[in-house]
Amino acid sequence: MSPRQAPASTRVPGSSNRRVQVWYGVLALIMALLVGRLFYLQIIKHDYYRQAARADQLKEYSITAERGVISAHDSGGFVPIVLNEKLYTLFVDPVYIKDAAKDSKQIAALTSGDQKKYAAAMKTKNTRYVVLEKRLGDTIRNKIAELKLPGVGLQAQNYRTYPQGTLAAQLLGFVGGDGQGKYGVEQALNKQLAGTPGRLKAVTDAEGIPLAANSGNIQINPKHGDDITLTIDLPMQKQLETILKNGLERVKSGSGSAVILDPYSGAIKAMANLPTYNPAEYYNVSDQKLFNNAAVSDPLEVGSVMKVLTAAAALDLKVISPDSTYYDPGRWELDEHTITNIEEVGGPGTRGVIDILNKSINTGATWMLMQMGGETGSINKKARERWHDYMVNRYQFGKPTGVEQGYESGGTVPDPNDGFGLELAYANTSFGQSMSATPLQMAAALSSVINGGAYYRPYLVDSAAGSGGQTSKNKPEIVRRGVVASRVGEQVKTMMEYIVSTHNLRPAFSSRYSVGGKTGTAQIANPAGGYYGDRFNGTYIGFVGGDKPQYVIVVRVNEPKIGKYAGSAAAQPVFADLAHMLINNFNVVPKRE
Amino acid sequence: MTYSSSVAVSRRQYGRRNQNSVAFAAPAKALGPVSNTIILLFLASLVGLLYLTQVTKTNAFGYSINDLAQEQSKLLDQKSDLEVGAARLHSLDRVAASEAAKALVPAAPSGSVR
Repeated sequence: MSPRQAPASTRVPGSSNRRVQVWYGVLALIMALLVGRLFYLQIIKHDYYRQAARADQLKEYSITAERGVISAHDSGGFVPIVLNEKLYTLFVDPVYIKDAAKDSKQIAALTSGDQKKYAAAMKTKNTRYVVLEKRLGDTIRNKIAELKLPGVGLQAQNYRTYPQGTLAAQLLGFVGGDGQGKYGVEQALNKQLAGTPGRLKAVTDAEGIPLAANSGNIQINPKHGDDITLTIDLPMQKQLETILKNGLERVKSGSGSAVILDPYSGAIKAMANLPTYNPAEYYNVSDQKLFNNAAVSDPLEVGSVMKVLTAAAALDLKVISPDSTYYDPGRWELDEHTITNIEEVGGPGTRGVIDILNKSINTGATWMLMQMGGETGSINKKARERWHDYMVNRYQFGKPTGVEQGYESGGTVPDPNDGFGLELAYANTSFGQSMSATPLQMAAALSSVINGGAYYRPYLVDSAAGSGGQTSKNKPEIVRRGVVASRVGEQVKTMMEYIVSTHNLRPAFSSRYSVGGKTGTAQIANPAGGYYGDRFNGTYIGFVGGDKPQYVIVVRVNEPKIGKYAGSAAAQPVFADLAHMLINNFNVVPKRE
Repeated sequence: MTYSSSVAVSRRQYGRRNQNSVAFAAPAKALGPVSNTIILLFLASLVGLLYLTQVTKTNAFGYSINDLAQEQSKLLDQKSDLEVGAARLHSLDRVAASEAAKALVPAAPSGSVR
């Protein structure tokens, strides 16, 4: 038996060390690769990845500024009439909708909407955002959110809300879908009401929540819009709208306006037009004319109410006196046209200045204008220039008043020296034709006469409160002093009171109050030339007060279906109702005994 | 050698004049480079940890701020809703249609002729 041989060893001496060395080598290589990769990512590509990370982490938000609230006066206090309300837009992402029929049924049950319309919207192709409903309230929003339907979302948005409904709608205006104020106060004061949005720039976490420990965060708080308080007296506005509505219905007129102004400050106490609209649903209005505040944006040939201002100018120039008399020929031939009167005036005869106003004599108003030029029988250059000066520079016609309203119109006044048929045109202006003015301009002009000669700029904003709490109160602004002498104001007041006392206003006014007025019936211009023979606007201009006028009232009734005496039959009753309403409810101080 | 002689030898050996009684000082104990590095790394980690703790703490405040801001926003929404509700309750049409208004009787106007 041969000795057992030990098995041959396959192990090469030193191979264990080499294997370890190989592994070390591999590890070192991997480490080198990792280090190299890290070097590449962190050093070479540093800027790129830094920017990518920043883009993901750094968020910038715009912080919406809250639009200012609009308030009005009410019994010595203030009541908000335009506020902001958070409402919700319901939208779907059709990609995530699995069962449109079921989802739409559930939603329609809550919104009372059209289920078929919802289902169709949920199946819309090639879009990720379809709006189902807008302006949903908080309650419905919560109920929809509780359903937890995939692909159904709700987005909050601020809307203007109007607790008083249509009240003062055209005066207020509305805020369009683009967030900009349209018409009325909303347009005129858009910048002040809108405020300035804020900004937040911050590093955020994955959920978009800003991380406080970042010195680079920027937060600029929004500057909320100013809260505005109007000069409008809410109950007065409501009653004015009711009286105007009843007045228009009584004479079957389709539209009209009325203004109540404080003659000693220019503060507008109430102003309305009919028909009107609901500003909360402005998007349902098809006739955009409804948005206009006609009392400031739609001038008209004011008619015989202008005679009051013509008389005031002639009295101020001392070319006539309240007890002046003259021979009225009953017609004037000017520029190959004839100026005549209504039948009730009668034919030629001797008249007094008070007759011109009381009987509304066109030829008498023309005579007063002739006296301004010192030449009876023609309206010379001097008369035209003097009257033009009163109309434009004293009564401020032909230019906007500057009231806080969108689309205000300035009206028109003919040039005294440029154009054809100037004598006729100027004769017409003496009784409110061939020129145009807005009811607000008329109210401001009459105020300047009866308050002793100060033209106050009409205004609607009483005060504004900034988001910081600072409040600024608007002071009445006198545009011009000495419009007419104060004695003229007294003379005009007396004549207007006389007119009211002889015009059978019902019910009659107590002698404890001073109520004056003047009717106007203006022919409507035909765009083809001349005037319509059977279409008239009725106007009335007047005041109510005690020892001094407290309110000036202007009424406009468009095309009443009651013949041609639109001023006395259509506008005068509205004035009478408004004057009584003011005396009964708004502390008109009676005359001292 | 007796005890006394051994003491004498000892005195001779160590008690000579002008000779320091302590012949050598204790060697200075210094940390080596590895220990220094470890300690530095440890301290750096500690500072880093402290920094991270503070940053996390500050960021946690961010969440509190966010929660409070949301709460504030919610309360402001409620206030706004209440204001709208109050304004609607003051609506003139609503007041005119109320039972109290219906029970009112007309009074003689002061402005008419007595």
